[in-house]
Amino acid sequence: MNAHENSRSRTPLAMVASRRAFLSDIGMGFTGLALGSMLHRDGVVRADGLQSSGAGIGQAHMRPKAKNVIWIFLVGGMSQMESFDPKPALNKYAGMSVDETPFKSILDSPYLKKNLREFIPGLHHAHPKLFPMQIGHQRRGASGLDISDWWSHLAGVIDDVALVRSMWTTDNNHGAQLQFHTGRHALEGQFPTIGSWVHYGLGSLNDDLPSFCVIGTPIADCCGGLGAHGANYLGPEHAGIQLNVDPHSPLPFATPGSEVYREEQQSEFELLGRLNRLSFVEYPDDPSLTARIKSYELAFRMQSALPNVINFAAETAETQAMYGLTQDPTRTFGQQCLVARRLVESGVRFVQLFHGSNGGAGAWDAHSGLKNSHSTLCAQVDQPIAALLKDLKQRGLLDETLVVIGTEFGRTPGFQNSDGRDHHPYGFSVALAGGGVKGGIAHGATDEIGFHAVEDRHYVTDLHATVLHQLGLDSRRLEIPGRKRLDLDHGTPIHAIL
Amino acid sequence: MRSVFTRSVCRLIVAAVAFPGSVSEAQSLGENAMAVTNSAIVTVDFVRDVRPILRSRCATCHNEAEPGGGLRLDAAGDVMKGGDNGPAILPGNSGESRLIQAVMQTGDLKMPPPDEAKPLEEAQIAILRRWIDQGAIVPDNESQVIHWAFQKPVRPVVPPVSAADGSDEESSPAQTSKINPIDAFIAQRHYQQHLNALPDAPKHVQLRRVYLDLIGLPPTPEQLQAFLNDGSANAWEKVVDELLASPHYGERWGRHWMDVWRYSDWDGYGTEVRESKPHIWRWRDWIIESLNDDKPYDRMIMEMLAADEIAPNDAPAIRATGYLVRNWYVFNRNTWIDNTVEHTGKAFMGLTFNCARCHDHMYDPISQSEYYQFRAFFEPHDIRTDRLPGQSDVSKDGLVRAFDANAGASTLLFIRGDEKNPLKDKPMSPRVPAALGPSDLAIQPVELPPTAYYPGLQGFVAAETLSSGEAEVQTSSAALAMAQQAVETARSQLLAFRRVTADATAEVRSLEITNSAVLSEADLSAAVQLAESAGKLTEKKMTVASATLDFARARIAADQANYAQPPAANSKDLSLAAGKAERTLTVHQEELNLLTAEQTLLIAKAALPANGSQVDEPKQKAIADAEAAVTAARTAIETAQKAAAEPVEAYTRVTAVYPTTSTGRRSALARWIANRGNPLTARVAINHIWLRHFHQPLVPTVFDFGMNGKPPVHPELLDWLACELMENGWKMKPLHRLMVSSNAYRRASSPSVEDRAVASGNASLDPENRQLWRQNSYRMEAEVVRDATLHVAGQLDKSMSGPDLDPNTGLTVGRRSVYFRTSKEKKMKFLSAFDSPNPVECYQRAESISPQQSLAMSNSPLTLAQSRNVAAKLSEQVAAMPKEDAALQFVTLAFRQILNREPSAAEVTECISFLQQQSDQFSAAGSLTAFSGGTDNLIKPSADAAQRSRENLVHVLFNHNDFVTVR
Repeated sequence: MNAHENSRSRTPLAMVASRRAFLSDIGMGFTGLALGSMLHRDGVVRADGLQSSGAGIGQAHMRPKAKNVIWIFLVGGMSQMESFDPKPALNKYAGMSVDETPFKSILDSPYLKKNLREFIPGLHHAHPKLFPMQIGHQRRGASGLDISDWWSHLAGVIDDVALVRSMWTTDNNHGAQLQFHTGRHALEGQFPTIGSWVHYGLGSLNDDLPSFCVIGTPIADCCGGLGAHGANYLGPEHAGIQLNVDPHSPLPFATPGSEVYREEQQSEFELLGRLNRLSFVEYPDDPSLTARIKSYELAFRMQSALPNVINFAAETAETQAMYGLTQDPTRTFGQQCLVARRLVESGVRFVQLFHGSNGGAGAWDAHSGLKNSHSTLCAQVDQPIAALLKDLKQRGLLDETLVVIGTEFGRTPGFQNSDGRDHHPYGFSVALAGGGVKGGIAHGATDEIGFHAVEDRHYVTDLHATVLHQLGLDSRRLEIPGRKRLDLDHGTPIHAIL
Repeated sequence: MRSVFTRSVCRLIVAAVAFPGSVSEAQSLGENAMAVTNSAIVTVDFVRDVRPILRSRCATCHNEAEPGGGLRLDAAGDVMKGGDNGPAILPGNSGESRLIQAVMQTGDLKMPPPDEAKPLEEAQIAILRRWIDQGAIVPDNESQVIHWAFQKPVRPVVPPVSAADGSDEESSPAQTSKINPIDAFIAQRHYQQHLNALPDAPKHVQLRRVYLDLIGLPPTPEQLQAFLNDGSANAWEKVVDELLASPHYGERWGRHWMDVWRYSDWDGYGTEVRESKPHIWRWRDWIIESLNDDKPYDRMIMEMLAADEIAPNDAPAIRATGYLVRNWYVFNRNTWIDNTVEHTGKAFMGLTFNCARCHDHMYDPISQSEYYQFRAFFEPHDIRTDRLPGQSDVSKDGLVRAFDANAGASTLLFIRGDEKNPLKDKPMSPRVPAALGPSDLAIQPVELPPTAYYPGLQGFVAAETLSSGEAEVQTSSAALAMAQQAVETARSQLLAFRRVTADATAEVRSLEITNSAVLSEADLSAAVQLAESAGKLTEKKMTVASATLDFARARIAADQANYAQPPAANSKDLSLAAGKAERTLTVHQEELNLLTAEQTLLIAKAALPANGSQVDEPKQKAIADAEAAVTAARTAIETAQKAAAEPVEAYTRVTAVYPTTSTGRRSALARWIANRGNPLTARVAINHIWLRHFHQPLVPTVFDFGMNGKPPVHPELLDWLACELMENGWKMKPLHRLMVSSNAYRRASSPSVEDRAVASGNASLDPENRQLWRQNSYRMEAEVVRDATLHVAGQLDKSMSGPDLDPNTGLTVGRRSVYFRTSKEKKMKFLSAFDSPNPVECYQRAESISPQQSLAMSNSPLTLAQSRNVAAKLSEQVAAMPKEDAALQFVTLAFRQILNREPSAAEVTECISFLQQQSDQFSAAGSLTAFSGGTDNLIKPSADAAQRSRENLVHVLFNHNDFVTVR
């Protein structure tokens, strides 16, 4: 609903657009003129046109380190201590109340209040009785990063991975899923997501594919819904496009059928483009007209390009096995990771990959039975993610592809319902790899029991800033007139891992 | 846990925008400020005017949890207390008040911090100053201040025309009376805010707009031409009246209300029903019919919530309780009832009850107890399916409806919303929130008429039972005749065999017998035996059929006597007779069972080898089983005979018999909601209607009129319309008429070249068009895209009502979209691409633009087929013309047909040259490459190159932005 409210608002964008921005807004046509294909990288043109940054067409604000992003989101809230931030102290003090441990002061930390803005005050608690780690852990790789044994495949490539163990957010409900992507608490409404900013800022590297693709089931309506890959006031043309990992039907209506000729359709689309442009003369202030013109152009090209890109069956048996396509637990997510690689290889800027959507809060939401659920879920994603990193590296793509593995918040050091952990916004972990990110390092830290992020704390928008920075974008130069953003929205790149 | 969460994330959906830097919020506040500064009567009210500014711009850092500088600016008392540096406010002296100094940012203290948020609007500061200068009055007890939406609307005075049109001269009352009140209210705002409304849209644009708005179909070229030719003063009114009288109005607006009331066909996996119920489409028909009949909105609410109580014998009205049926959920009664509570609150009253399920409401005066008290109204109800004429099997069809099944069901508060943790010793009684007036409603139990609690008593059930009983007797008697014939045949064959064997010389004649594959006398004797057994069985079936009919007659007579009011004098005798008839029937049925068992035994024995030398265990066992069955059947007969000998009044009713009384809770609640005294109901309805005519709501948070919702953009207009609705008997059509007859509705949505300067002036003051200085253009809703495509091609099947259609046939079956099955998991892909409603919740449609929509329009069998149909039809019209004229005429007709307008010269040029090029391309076929995949279309492309290029042109126009856009 709120998404609609915002997406329906009549932004005065077109009214202030420069002539140059207009040209980019209205698209390139279907015939691939040289000018058109240059202008197609319209994000940059727009950023340039509006901000006079001095950057030339086809260049970012800064020298980019990465070209693409694969953004993996584990829906429901993955436990930090059972993944990238093991806490032996939990085993030592298992069953004791925090009050009885040397970490008593944790509950008096000012972060406790400062950090928190709840939908439902008091619904989720700190759960003082400490719950031991549900899985072993060990130092892995040359770097000796300590991670849980549920991530044994990732362990094999850990020297390419940077862990950030000091993330924090403010929403203690699953609206944090939305917040992770927009940087704003769900109570404030919906805002453009990181993927849409990238799309807006940089456009595509491929004229035939949407530059912001979404794979896997998006998060549920409870928690932000389509808003977590939406573009909000940037306009619907910058929102992520959902794809099925099925070459025969990557999208509904992907072909008009064998009774139609390709040439016939192409000249239809060309006429359509000319007629819609004639309308533009009459309705220069109609942002939806320009969006529709562009959506037709993209649709035309997508329909021929997508089936090939999605066709993971074209990969070698070896590659398929590496991603786990040959066995049940990993097959689905393995296919999705493999398609994600194929998409970025083809020039898609931003691939957002959801894991664990279940129509509600998400599969990772382990209020009880954490051992069972997290072990099952890790078994689904560990091998495919490790394979993705290996595969990108062996193809020389890892340097230019930034992979982010995130989740909306962590889980409580204390137990809930005897064998689970509750929501925990005070400290949690994410992992990054490739795209100019240092490998084999852990940055930031939580306290001894994984409660508060205490060293080098990072709000979720620091992750956004890191992504944009590596892509060569400065979010402050992407601002939309009349849509003032706060410092917190922009965040600060995590330079220590770059 | 998850369900608890999902229930409680209402905030997320409500999208509070109270945050510094939010443009729309600032604008809304700026607009209030404008109203205040321009109004002659300006007493600034803390709650209405001041608190929203403080909460949205200051309280983020000055709240209870985080009182920046020791200062809280989120509640009246604390504002006056001041902070660490002393008072923030000096009543009567805004200039010296630190708050004002801070927000004006003239001194050292600059608030909000310039690096975090933009400064307050001048108008906002003006409100704060005026409030302080007027003495900084705050309410004694803030919580007692009644939120605007919780106060009954009072009809405001329509602004006089002088204010409305900006002229200085007072107008005469006669002139004033001609002004549509909507325009008077809007013009006043325009005057105050220096906005200049755009003129009327061109007539063809207006007509297309109102057709699509009121009936969801575009006008035909003939309808458009008739309107353009109609120079009469009331041409518009005539069109509006005609459209409102069209049955398509109900289909169009029915779909809108189906969004609001969460219509969903049944959902589930395979044939397992998990949510909502089969046959709920009757509720959809009720919605459409009710709207077409202009049934008053209050009556509609009453029927949806409680038709079974207020009209217990009115099956057509009871369809309305599909509103409750829709929430049925197989896995969890709490989910089911919670959904009912949540959406009854949201749909009718804009109240987010659901936020109070786990804890007291964060913003509104609804306690957690009140949530459960509200739930108690629904606690006794359940869902059942009654028989309808023509179908005795309710799984195939029936009236699915609500009824009170359990008057004693208690409602328990769930601690923190956790259903595993109910507050056992404190059952909740049905009450409405105290903040909305007296919370005890007069709840009168409803004594139901017998036909309501015993649906089998309805006349058609008796008639159908008798006629099917009689038919059964007929069938059985025909079967009996045939069985008797079979016995005769078997016997005569046996006789013939005996004759043949007796006459050895007649060997040749034995051929007849060998033809029937009977080889021995023993076999023939067995065949006779079997035929005789089957004959007895059939005879008994005949007896059973007669006894069934006898019982049906006796039962109907007894029912009529027993359920007469008062019961008839002979009811006891008739009950005894029915009891006797039923038990006699049982005896016959058991006898039939015996015969069946005996026949099985006979067959089993016949299957044994004649010499009996080999033991065949399965066959032996079959015999043993059959013998046991025979014994059991004999026993059953004895039991049945004994029972039949006893006189009893008890007999089995033809359908279930339900409680004779309904609690009256739901009708009491419905009366309270659908009541002039309820401050919310009419306003919420008006907002929904307004939203769909003007494509932006008066209250932006359409399902939250509570304190966390956004205030109305135009409160006076909202209240005036709400009063108008209630005072005109809650009829919607007059409201539609009023809205679409306003200048506000009819004005252009985009400026003509000569109006562009005016428009850009307006846009700088009101970029989001909150004051409706222009009409809003929008994209057709999903159903309209599909329906209009079919309609334009003359392929829309306009038949109404009936069972939900398979959504997988939506691209080839020409019924209107509203009749296709739609539920969480069963929906039409084509419609989904265009933001069709989420049946879980859709109080306002989304309007996205995506490549998927482009693919749906360009590649779907629907648009391809209809393009071919349209082209064929239009080609007939130009068939007689010379080639050059025909091309021009075809282009013109195609634009009229699909886009309801004339093509421009440039468009004509483009299209004519396209026709030629495309035709040349097809003529040079062979070099063309076909697509692969997809499905073959029922309507094939033309084999003629020129015609196929026309089909292409029509197809392009369906894909034109102007087709899906309503200007």
